[in-house]
Amino acid sequence: MTMHETIERPLPLRDRLFASERLMEETGCYDGITDLTLRKLDPLKFETLHTKLRATCVSAREMARRISASPGVREVGEMVVALYTPEGDAVALSNGIMVHVHTMSRFIKWMIREGYEENPGIAPGDIFANNDAFIGTVQVPDVMDVVPIFHEGELVGWAGAVCHELESGGITPGGDVCLAQERFTEGLFVCAEKIGANDEIRRDYVIRCERNLRMPIYWVLDEKAKVAACLEIREGVKEIIREVGIDYWMRVMKEFIEEGRRGQLARTRQLTVPGIYRGHTFYGHVTEGKQGFQPLGPMDWLYNIPIEMEITRDGRMVMDFEGTQPWGYHSMNCTPAGMDGGMFVTLTQHMNFEGLVNDGAWMATELKLPHGTWTNPDNEMVATATSWALLLPAYGVFQRLLSRGFLARGYVEEAFVGQVNSPMIEMGGTSQYGGPFGMAHFECAAAGSGALAIKDGLDTAYVGWNPESDMGNIEIWEQNMPMVYIGRSILPDSGGAGKYRGGCAFISTWLVNKTDHLRLVTSEHSSRVFDNAGMCGGYPAPSCQKHRAVREPNLAERIEKRLPLAHEVGTDPARSDFEKLLEGEHDTVEGPYITRPHKHGDIFSHSYNGGGGFGDVLERDPVKTAIDVENGHLTEAAAREVFGIVVTPGAEPGTFVADLKATAALRKEMRARRLARAVPVTDWIAAERARVSRRRFAPEVRQMYAAAMRLSDRFRGEFTGFWGLDHGFDMLEGDKA
Amino acid sequence: MTSYSQETIRDLMAGTLPWPQTRRIMSAYKDEDRFWKALAVLQDRVAWADPILLPISEHLFIAQTAGGRVTKCECGHEFGDYRQNWKLAAAVLVRDNDALLREIYPTSDLPDPEWMELREFLCPSCGVIHEVEACAPGYPVLHEFQPDLEGFYADWLGRPLPAEG
Repeated sequence: MTMHETIERPLPLRDRLFASERLMEETGCYDGITDLTLRKLDPLKFETLHTKLRATCVSAREMARRISASPGVREVGEMVVALYTPEGDAVALSNGIMVHVHTMSRFIKWMIREGYEENPGIAPGDIFANNDAFIGTVQVPDVMDVVPIFHEGELVGWAGAVCHELESGGITPGGDVCLAQERFTEGLFVCAEKIGANDEIRRDYVIRCERNLRMPIYWVLDEKAKVAACLEIREGVKEIIREVGIDYWMRVMKEFIEEGRRGQLARTRQLTVPGIYRGHTFYGHVTEGKQGFQPLGPMDWLYNIPIEMEITRDGRMVMDFEGTQPWGYHSMNCTPAGMDGGMFVTLTQHMNFEGLVNDGAWMATELKLPHGTWTNPDNEMVATATSWALLLPAYGVFQRLLSRGFLARGYVEEAFVGQVNSPMIEMGGTSQYGGPFGMAHFECAAAGSGALAIKDGLDTAYVGWNPESDMGNIEIWEQNMPMVYIGRSILPDSGGAGKYRGGCAFISTWLVNKTDHLRLVTSEHSSRVFDNAGMCGGYPAPSCQKHRAVREPNLAERIEKRLPLAHEVGTDPARSDFEKLLEGEHDTVEGPYITRPHKHGDIFSHSYNGGGGFGDVLERDPVKTAIDVENGHLTEAAAREVFGIVVTPGAEPGTFVADLKATAALRKEMRARRLARAVPVTDWIAAERARVSRRRFAPEVRQMYAAAMRLSDRFRGEFTGFWGLDHGFDMLEGDKA
Repeated sequence: MTSYSQETIRDLMAGTLPWPQTRRIMSAYKDEDRFWKALAVLQDRVAWADPILLPISEHLFIAQTAGGRVTKCECGHEFGDYRQNWKLAAAVLVRDNDALLREIYPTSDLPDPEWMELREFLCPSCGVIHEVEACAPGYPVLHEFQPDLEGFYADWLGRPLPAEG
């Protein structure tokens, strides 16, 4: 057999893509690669080449980050670089926002399917860009660039790069445009557009960016950074082809992917247990009374996100979102590209820690995304600007489902309660330098993680979308926005309680600085419901905390009199430190925060989210808890009331010690109280059934059930079956509270 | 092939293995005999003799008993056939108002109990919380895990399940 007998060259790209898909269907193997010939022939050469490709991607990304002007890319690393086959399947990738490795794959395939080879043509030196989620990205600010790689006139691959832009020119500043209720207010769209030729970005494209963005310097320099990364990869691949020959190259790319696919199946069989896994999460969105939101649909709503995952005996993972909510006139819809991306980035963190990481892993999985739901809208005009709001909680569920499998298999060190949303703050208006500006503040990329099955979660050091979590330096953010920090501190009790607590989040407090027009907007903010969970008895982390703002506080006066200032909200939910110490107009607001502009001297605080807990709280180590109190991760009140741990001040000021005797007594009492208050589940179901049958729920809850039942007969069957109701039960008509 | 002593696995599972060693285990190739070692550690931990077939939560196992394969708490309490949802045989404490939620979140803003409740499913004998559900009121109780026990043993582990009875 010759090396690439499977597909004769050079076929038109579209034919190559269709042939590749047909071969996968016929053989069950990627591109019909049933035998890893090259790997067998010389495994060392094979592995070394993949490592080299990965190193090329990593190095291209690092180089590109230094071209960017955006603190999101430079500081936080909101970028990824990858290499693709001619058909658009990822062969190797860098670190960074790996969610986009597969979304770029969709972008390339979309252009091939749409006949881009004929018009607008695909030639050496061309540059294509996209940020349309229905073509292949997650949200508007995720702008991707790809360049074709040619060898002697034949397309032999693609190089691609994505940066998350801090400003995308939408109806509100930033990129996660929470006010967008349809596509038309999300910002500047680039829909699979040829934006350059001969390795140069077109001047007219740059002009369009400059005239449609609040802060074009970020976007435009990021374009240059991405193109530089792509060219770096392209030249690296050409060098490799010179070294190994074109026949080897064309075959080895495919073998890398097939090996990735086989590796994923093998790891699933190694690390988990076959069977059905189920989980759910929720998201609450509140816009009633908030200026700017159009009444196109329900103003306040509740989304349920149930997931059923099957791990088959051959190691395939099938994730099914049946029973979830329809798309809506809000910014949180997601496209299949985004859903794929979520799956890809989660797998790379949890299972692809060895072997070849590429699109092969994704091919060993299947997503069932019911048409018409937020996961797969049947209307391409919907907004997806804040799709992370639903995507992240959904993949947090996936992490817990996987972790159940790891736990059952004995690999406790891999079990991880998972990720959560961490609300985003964005801003725009007039900068401290006097000109227009707009940006997303990306310190949210350092939330608390869920707990592990053997230790506490990471404090201020994890987000699901970028495993290299980083909050960036205060000074860099202060350079880029008209606000200065007067506080950035650990948020006590922000991790979910458990034997192992979730990681804590942090809170920032800013003083608006040298501007008379600062618009602050927040998104991905679920304050009405928990959008995360604990595991094995652990509790969810707190829901999103409200925003606290003070307009025209008497800060200058207090500074002059050398009186204490408020640097954070504090631990009294009834009255914040701001209210205790500052005069002025106090606002306590559920997100999304959207209100009239702020000006110099105002104060604004924003909290990020912690992760869920693992295990029963009454099993938490008292000594570790004393250290937590000492370090500000837990309050004494939480230690005592939630964990049943008594800590007392130590001999040294600021230290705490656990009182083991008092703790044992308190825990005994708490366990007894727990048992005394609990009721048999059967009794509770009998009582609850009466409430369900009379529909005694808040309107948003009734609406949620009605929508889920309308879209899914299976959900209807499960709901009515569980509560013993008629299959045709109508949640909206009949008795109510 | 990577392999660790049963003592190492015991300490790892107890969360007492020193972090550098834990970190090395996380970074190394996985030990293929882990399942059997983990099972042995768990079997040593429980005070009863029924063979554990599969752990499904921190203190919850599928065990082979004289009465069949059942879901069983570490304390010995049995929740019935493992194919049924064990939660239906548990006790539950539902936190569906501010006062009850405040007990768990003493210093934070609370969710709206009209939209969300916590359900603590606990063992009616020892009182350990096995799982906490966070969901909208009225949501059916979740059956979290239905392992394909036969397939797992026969196809993946290469050992048939011990015969019942």
